[in-house]
Amino acid sequence: MNILVINSGSSSLKYQLYDMRTEKVLASGRVERIGMETSILSHEVPGKPEVREVSEILEHTTAVRKVLDMLTHRDFGVLKSIKEIEAVGHRVVHGGESFSESVMVTPEVKLEIRKLFDLAPLHNPAHMTGITAVEANLPDVPQTAVFDTAFHQTMPPVAYRYAIPTVLYRKHKIRRYGFHGTSVDFVIRGAAEVLGRPLEELKLVVCHIGNGASCTAVLHGKSYDTSMGLTPLEGLMMGTRSGDLDPAVVPYTINKEDLTLNEVNSMLNKHSGLLAVSGLSSDMREIVQAMEEGHEQASLAFEMYAYRIRKYIGAYAAAMNGIDAVVFTAGVGENSDVLRKSVCDGLSFLGIRLDDARNAVRSPEPRAVTKDGCPVAALVIPTNEELLIARDTYRIVRESRQQERT
Amino acid sequence: MIRKIGVVGIGTMGRSIAEMLAVKGLDVLLVEKSESMLNEALALLEASLDRQLERWAITLAEKKLILNRIHKMKSVQDLAECDLVIEAASEDLEVKKELFKELDRALPPRVVLASNTSTLSLTELAAATRHPRRIIGMHFVYPALGIDVVEIIRGLQTSDETFQQTKEFVEHVLDKKGIMVYESPGFVTTRLICLLINEALHLLAEGVASAEDIDSAMRVGYQFEYGPLEMADRFGLDAVWAALERMFREYGELKYRPSILLKKKVRAGHLGVKTGNGFFEYDKDGERLP
Repeated sequence: MNILVINSGSSSLKYQLYDMRTEKVLASGRVERIGMETSILSHEVPGKPEVREVSEILEHTTAVRKVLDMLTHRDFGVLKSIKEIEAVGHRVVHGGESFSESVMVTPEVKLEIRKLFDLAPLHNPAHMTGITAVEANLPDVPQTAVFDTAFHQTMPPVAYRYAIPTVLYRKHKIRRYGFHGTSVDFVIRGAAEVLGRPLEELKLVVCHIGNGASCTAVLHGKSYDTSMGLTPLEGLMMGTRSGDLDPAVVPYTINKEDLTLNEVNSMLNKHSGLLAVSGLSSDMREIVQAMEEGHEQASLAFEMYAYRIRKYIGAYAAAMNGIDAVVFTAGVGENSDVLRKSVCDGLSFLGIRLDDARNAVRSPEPRAVTKDGCPVAALVIPTNEELLIARDTYRIVRESRQQERT
Repeated sequence: MIRKIGVVGIGTMGRSIAEMLAVKGLDVLLVEKSESMLNEALALLEASLDRQLERWAITLAEKKLILNRIHKMKSVQDLAECDLVIEAASEDLEVKKELFKELDRALPPRVVLASNTSTLSLTELAAATRHPRRIIGMHFVYPALGIDVVEIIRGLQTSDETFQQTKEFVEHVLDKKGIMVYESPGFVTTRLICLLINEALHLLAEGVASAEDIDSAMRVGYQFEYGPLEMADRFGLDAVWAALERMFREYGELKYRPSILLKKKVRAGHLGVKTGNGFFEYDKDGERLP
C-alpha cells in the first residue's frame, strides 16, 4: 500500500510517499511560497538528483495537484497513476481534548479540527487547507489526521491542569496539552528495543531537542507529563522561544515597554531563547562554535539551555519516582554530542555515566551512549514523525477495510 | 481572491496602508510619479519596520520578506494586474476626481477602486468615472497596522458585488472589523473624533484646563490610548482642520466650525507629529517628548 504523508503549512506543503510493504520512502519533497508567482516545488527520489520547478501556485489545491503530477511524472515520477496512492495521512498540530489518537478524516472530524482553530491559530487552519486540498484532488482516497497532542492525552489532571481559576479551564480549555507527541510515540519504541525491555515497565524521559524543544515523562509507555503547555512556548529554553518564566514578567514587560499583545507574543516566541541570550544565533551549531571560540554570551546561552534540560529530567525522574533512561532525539538531540555531554555529566547522581567515545559517534542508528551496565541509560533514537504518520494511516485504513468486510 | 493591491499616494496614510498590507502577506504596488519621492517613501516605510523590529513585533527575516512584497511603480498603468487599488492621495476633491478618472481609464473594470477619503463624497468621485459601480470607500484609521477597524462606504452607485468583495477582503484577508456606512461626510469615525477634538480645543482656548490635563482626563478617565489633543497632533492638525472645514460646509452646523486655535497652529506651521510640534512636542520617531 502506498501512503502519502502531508504536512501543510500556511504557505508551504511537505510530502513523503511511503511504500508500506517495506516502509521505504519512494519520493519526498516540498512546495514553498504558495500564494506567490514564484512558488518552488522541490522533489526528490532517493538515489536521484533533486528536481526543482518554479511556477505560479496560488493555493493549496493547485499545490497538491502539482505534487501528484510530479509523483506520476514520466521522468521524475515513481507512480504510474495517482490511483496507486491508497491513503493520505496529515500532520495536525492541535487535537485539543477531542483527539487522543489518530483518526480517519470524516465530516465530524473536520468540524472538530475547525473548533480547535483558536488553540493553534497558526497551524490548524493551514492543516485544514491541506485536507481540503487533498479532498479536491483525490475525492475517493481515505485521509487520516495524526495529532501532535494526541499522545499526551494520557496525562493525569495533576500534570495537565494549571493552578488558575477552574472557570478558565472549563470555558476556554486552558490546560497543558504538550506537543511533539508523534515524535515521542515513535522514539520510545526504539528505546525499548535498544534497552531490550518491554515498554510497559519502563520509566523514560524523552528530550525532543530541535528547533522547538520539549521533555516528556513517559511512564510505562504513556505520556505522564510534558514540558510544553497550552502552546509550544512553555518548558525548555529553545532557539528563539523563552520557555519557562515567571508569568508576571509578561504584564510587567507590557507595562514597562508599552507593548501590544502581538509584540509581546512575538518577543517571547521569536526574539528570545538562544538568540536573545547569545545575541548571536538561534542555531545550536553556531552557539557551540562561538562558545569554543570563547564567546561569553554564547557560553551562557549554552549553559542555560543545558541546565534547563537537566532540571526537567530531574523533575520528571522525581515525578515518576524513578527513571530507566533518558532519550535524546530530533535535530540537536541526535547530532549535538556537546549538548548531550553537558546534560548527562550533571546527572551522574542519577546513575547516568556517559561513554565519551560512544557519545562522539555520529550515526543514524538507535543506540546507547552510556557505559554498559550503568543504572540509567542515555539513548539517541532518531525520530521519524512522517513514518509514524504513515504507519498510523496504514493501520487505520486497514482496520476500516476489515470492518467493511465483516 | 484579492492578493495584489495597488496603493496610490505615499503620504502618511498611503505608507501606513502599504505597510499594513505587506505585513499581512499581500503584494503591494506603490505608485508615485517621482522616483525620488518613491524612494523617500520606501525609506520611511523601512524606518517604520525598524521600529517594529526594535519592539520585537517582527524579526529581521520577516522585515526583509515584508519589504520584498512592496514594489515601486511609476504610473497607474502599471496596476493592471491588481485586484484592488486603494487611493490615498491628499484629501482634495479635484485631485481625487482626476486620479479616479485616470485609474478608471487605465484599469479593466474588474479591478475594484477604493478611496481612503474620510470626508469626500464617494458618489461624486464615482461620477467622474465610466464604471461607477466598482468605486467604493475604504477608510482606514491611522496607524493602519495597529487599528483594526475599516469603514466601508457605499456610494449611490456602488454595486453589491463590489461591496461584498470589499467586505470579504476587509474581514477575512485583513482580519479587521468592517463598519458598514452609507455615504455621509466624516462617516462615523471622523465625524465623532473631530467633534471631540474641536471641543477639546474650545476647552483649551477658554482656559478651562491645560492641554496636558485635558488629555489626561480622557486617557485615564475613558481609557483613550491618546487624549484628543495628542490625537490631533498625530493625525496632523492641517488634516483635522480640513476635515472639520468640510463637515462644517456640508452640514452647515456651527458645532463643526474649526476652532480658531487650530487655525492659528496650522498657520504657524505647527502641524503636530510630522513637524515635531503641535499641542505637544515629538521626536523624529513620533515619540512624545516629556
